[in-house]
Amino acid sequence: MSQYAGTPAVARVRRARAKPDVPLAMRVQRLARAMWKHRWYYLLLIAPLTYYLIFRYIPIWNAQIAFKDFFALKGVEGSPWVGLQHFEAFFNSFYFSELIVNTVIFSLARLILGMPIAIILALAIHESRFLFFRSLVQTVTYLPHFLSWVIMLGLLLGLLSPSSGMINEMIKAAGGQPIAFLTSTAWFRQVVVLSDIWKETGWSTILYLAALLGISPDLYEAAEVDGASRWRRIWHISLPGIVPVIVLITLLRLGNILDVSFQQIWVLYSVPVYSVGDIIDTWVYRSGVLDFQFSLATAVGLFKGVIGLILILVANSVAKRVAQQSLF
Amino acid sequence: MSTKTTRFVKIALIACALTLIIAACAPAPTAVPAPTQPAAAAATQPAATVAPTAPPAPKPTDTPAKPVDIELWAQATSTQAPAPPDDWVGYKTIREKLNLNLKYVIIPTGQDGETKINAAAAANALPDFFQAVSTTNARNKVIDLNKQGLIAPVDDLLKLMPNRAKTHYNNPASLAMAKIDGKQMAFVEVPNLPRREGVVIRKDWLDKLGLKMPTTMDELFAVAKAFTEKDPDGNGKNDTYGLGGFFDGTWGQGNRFAFFFGAYGVPDTWDWDNTSNFGLAVRNPNFYKALVEFRKWNESKVIDPDWATINRDEFRIRWPQGRYGIMWEDFCALACVANYPKFDNNFPNGEWVALPTMKGAVAKPYYNSYGGLGSFFAVSKKAADAGKGPAIAKLLEWMASPEGYYLLGFGVEGVNYKLDKNGAVTTDGLSDPTKAWNHESMARFTQMRNQLIYDNNPNEVLARYPDFVTDKSKKPMSPMAFYKFFSTQTWQDSTAGNLIVNPSNRADLQRFYNENFQAFALGTKPLTEQTWADFLKALDANVKANAWEESARKNLQDAGILKK
Repeated sequence: MSQYAGTPAVARVRRARAKPDVPLAMRVQRLARAMWKHRWYYLLLIAPLTYYLIFRYIPIWNAQIAFKDFFALKGVEGSPWVGLQHFEAFFNSFYFSELIVNTVIFSLARLILGMPIAIILALAIHESRFLFFRSLVQTVTYLPHFLSWVIMLGLLLGLLSPSSGMINEMIKAAGGQPIAFLTSTAWFRQVVVLSDIWKETGWSTILYLAALLGISPDLYEAAEVDGASRWRRIWHISLPGIVPVIVLITLLRLGNILDVSFQQIWVLYSVPVYSVGDIIDTWVYRSGVLDFQFSLATAVGLFKGVIGLILILVANSVAKRVAQQSLF
Repeated sequence: MSTKTTRFVKIALIACALTLIIAACAPAPTAVPAPTQPAAAAATQPAATVAPTAPPAPKPTDTPAKPVDIELWAQATSTQAPAPPDDWVGYKTIREKLNLNLKYVIIPTGQDGETKINAAAAANALPDFFQAVSTTNARNKVIDLNKQGLIAPVDDLLKLMPNRAKTHYNNPASLAMAKIDGKQMAFVEVPNLPRREGVVIRKDWLDKLGLKMPTTMDELFAVAKAFTEKDPDGNGKNDTYGLGGFFDGTWGQGNRFAFFFGAYGVPDTWDWDNTSNFGLAVRNPNFYKALVEFRKWNESKVIDPDWATINRDEFRIRWPQGRYGIMWEDFCALACVANYPKFDNNFPNGEWVALPTMKGAVAKPYYNSYGGLGSFFAVSKKAADAGKGPAIAKLLEWMASPEGYYLLGFGVEGVNYKLDKNGAVTTDGLSDPTKAWNHESMARFTQMRNQLIYDNNPNEVLARYPDFVTDKSKKPMSPMAFYKFFSTQTWQDSTAGNLIVNPSNRADLQRFYNENFQAFALGTKPLTEQTWADFLKALDANVKANAWEESARKNLQDAGILKK
């Protein structure tokens, strides 16, 4: 997305392009001509658009089972309608409010803590003068992204296990009592958020680094000539230069606020920490998928989607008004 | 860029785009449509190679022109080994002898396996013949699939398997577990030796610390405490625990610590001794006493504190490392030739001995409860509609014939096993011992053995669990000695628990139950008679446990287990 999207200048251009006095036929002709001119790019677009159509839009039709008592043999269309029964089952679940709270806490913690750390790391990498050091840091911070959460559990047990974990060994050596990080309600959320930051921060810097590389070097040179310090250049050039990306990512994350990494929680949580670790997706897996209640699972998915859409629309509108930046 | 180059780039881009589109739109590879086999015609085909009265050889015209495709989903016997390769002699023999194209797909253990079955069921894409796996109750899985109309009755197929019925389906009580509304909705296979797990203790640690073999829970606690605190392995480190185990995701303490509650007469989730007011075992006052004791063990740190988070694999890494002095373990996982060497290599002087039921806590203690049935195998409705039922029966019957039994259970005679003069399977005298059927590299060729092949006949049991001498310590080991000891303890029969249908809020109820149980056990929630009574009330008020108990009583009354 252009950093100028949503600005008054762009709006003027759009208005000019959509002049009401131009006949429709001529506008279509212009559009066709423009498309023909850029036909190779449009052709390239076909593959991703087809993907979205097949895997993202056509399945929406099946979401109707959220309002049905789904029978595999009768199919999506043939299953009987049951109204809002499955939504009620979810809202009336004994754990409904706890699931929402846990999910939102994990999402917000990742957004609020994870994003600034990724931005700081991206700025630090961007500012680094030593190419070797830069590449080394990038590689080292990207690597954990490629580890599965099962492997991560092994690493975390090696660090945090109260019986043999490295950190607990240090605590014991210092005369303290071992801490059951993974089974303690006081520690579990911190472990989840911090392990996610550890695993994903490096990978998250890619977008910010790309945005930083998109800033014209002339701006830095001019600032340097004007005597701006390194901090001033970061503050006045780098950060404003990546604001559109920050807004974009924040908006997209808000849309997914009820989505927390299922794999991570599923692998790390255990019965003693359900009260602080159980999220909507793990509940759906236990109640919907394992108990063969696919309509219930779909109803919850639909609920999450609607909440996400509302959040995106509201946040987009707020971002447009306050920061003159928006998704659409 | 020259015009030629530009044209080349454009053509390349188009080619890439088209390739992606074609790849995205291409349907998933599917097997060639299976020819349908008329039921009547198939039923008249020879049922097995060793039928008591051998039917006349089939005429050439009886054999369908194309083989019938059968897709079978089942768990693997050896989860560390892969599925058999495409050129496996088993596939070839089945094709040649039975005119079947068998496709065998291994499904994962635990919840992943159940998810796979559920996902296939939701898409109406169940395979022809499959193991109805469930982490809670396989009968419930069959009930769910039947409700969805996705599986077919197998009563007629049983008649096509006279030999297998004698060796594998000879327990009417087991078969009845898969009967729904009078119809047999699944086969119930032979269970892996029942009552095969037990409590074992490190005798070398007892000897080193000068302790005697415990017989009561109080003595067991004293021993566990000494194992934790007195450096029984003498390595100068505080790295041992009295008791090791893990939570297996079931109910409450799970199976690994059930012996603990068994000593108080309540090893199972249900209180089977209370037939007049049958219900959850947590209602029994002895359960509270057992929990108080279990909490004491946890607070004294004599149990590995990781028990709530680690899984079975991690547990089985830890005990051969000498971390535990007492544990509940499967006799073969403990003492079989494939498993014991890990421990033997680390501790040549180490010695595990079996412990009997702990006495003293209540008048009628139990070792544990047993309710395990064999695997449930169902035929999908789709397969039945396509006329594949008789072909599946033919395959199963062949698996119970000498040819199928030995080939799928032990491999190729002379290469993977030999038969001794008594007709028992042996690996003695094989030219290449690494080709022995029980060598780990051969495990992939007998992956179906525990699920569909073995029938627990005495010769087979001897072959599966042979005595041996350990490599490192040269100690004689007898896995069956452990089995015999474990299986002859006093177990509570909870087989009827398979009849209890899960409640619709099973996930919430189980979470509430387990979460509170573990909070009490681990000491994160005060445990007094008052807090326990509050928990029991909340169990009813919040997640309707009383409604489930009521429905369970009805299930058991309908089956004639409880009086109405």
